[in-house]
Amino acid sequence: MASGELKGHFDVAVAKDLSGKESTSAVSTGDGDGIQITCFTEDLNDVTFHFQIIRLEKQIYAWIGCNSAKLGHLYAAAPTRPNNAVSVASILGGASDNTGSSIARRIVLKTGLNVILACNIPKNSPMLEADAERKLMEKLKELGYTRSRSQGSVLSNS
Amino acid sequence: MAISFCRPMLVKVALGTKTDLIICSYDDYFLVMVTQIGSMGTILHAKKEEGVSIHPTFAVSVIFGKRDEPMLMACARQLIEHISNSGSSKPLVLSLGLKDHSLETLKGVASALIENRLW
Repeated sequence: MASGELKGHFDVAVAKDLSGKESTSAVSTGDGDGIQITCFTEDLNDVTFHFQIIRLEKQIYAWIGCNSAKLGHLYAAAPTRPNNAVSVASILGGASDNTGSSIARRIVLKTGLNVILACNIPKNSPMLEADAERKLMEKLKELGYTRSRSQGSVLSNS
Repeated sequence: MAISFCRPMLVKVALGTKTDLIICSYDDYFLVMVTQIGSMGTILHAKKEEGVSIHPTFAVSVIFGKRDEPMLMACARQLIEHISNSGSSKPLVLSLGLKDHSLETLKGVASALIENRLW
């Protein structure tokens, strides 16, 4: 089955102030205050993966949906000083199921940013996890969120 | 299969300082992000509790971040009640990355979210 990909970049949907007036304005992508939202779907081996990546200035939020649009388990992962260790915590969905925590960890290693990952891949499916992770990493690389190997440890100082 | 059902909505609001709202509806949760600081900040979880009385009760908790800011919990509580009164029983994951936690700011956040709601 061919994989379908839909990419939407939202620079700005609508700018409003509290008095209710609306104006649209273009905002450049990738700058300090440009939030980028990328959504796409991949069909792999009869399983449909939905992905959402929201790039904030100092953080990445990613959602992986496996055949459904449930939020799933939420993990927070961040680089931890002094060495390049990565800490992962399960913040929603219980800790008995670790599906997704390793994906979160590897996103941090690749991007150097704090990551919040939501993932509803069923547990005990390492192949699904690996497929989803591969697709997500490809997209992160394509979007330019990953850092090159030569950059070493680029830890945010906030 | 259309994926437009869970495309996040981005809204920029002026609340004294540049604020971005991102609202997304999943099958089992509403996800709402409010950010002024370039990250998600404190993440809260709010849900309506099962009960038999006519007046629903809600459980609000911080699942990540500052646990000593009552205004954040109040904001989540207001939103989950609004969600519930609009007829949805989906719980809420709310992230607030705000520069200050004053009453005016949180009131502004709550009204901006209600104005741009997906429920």
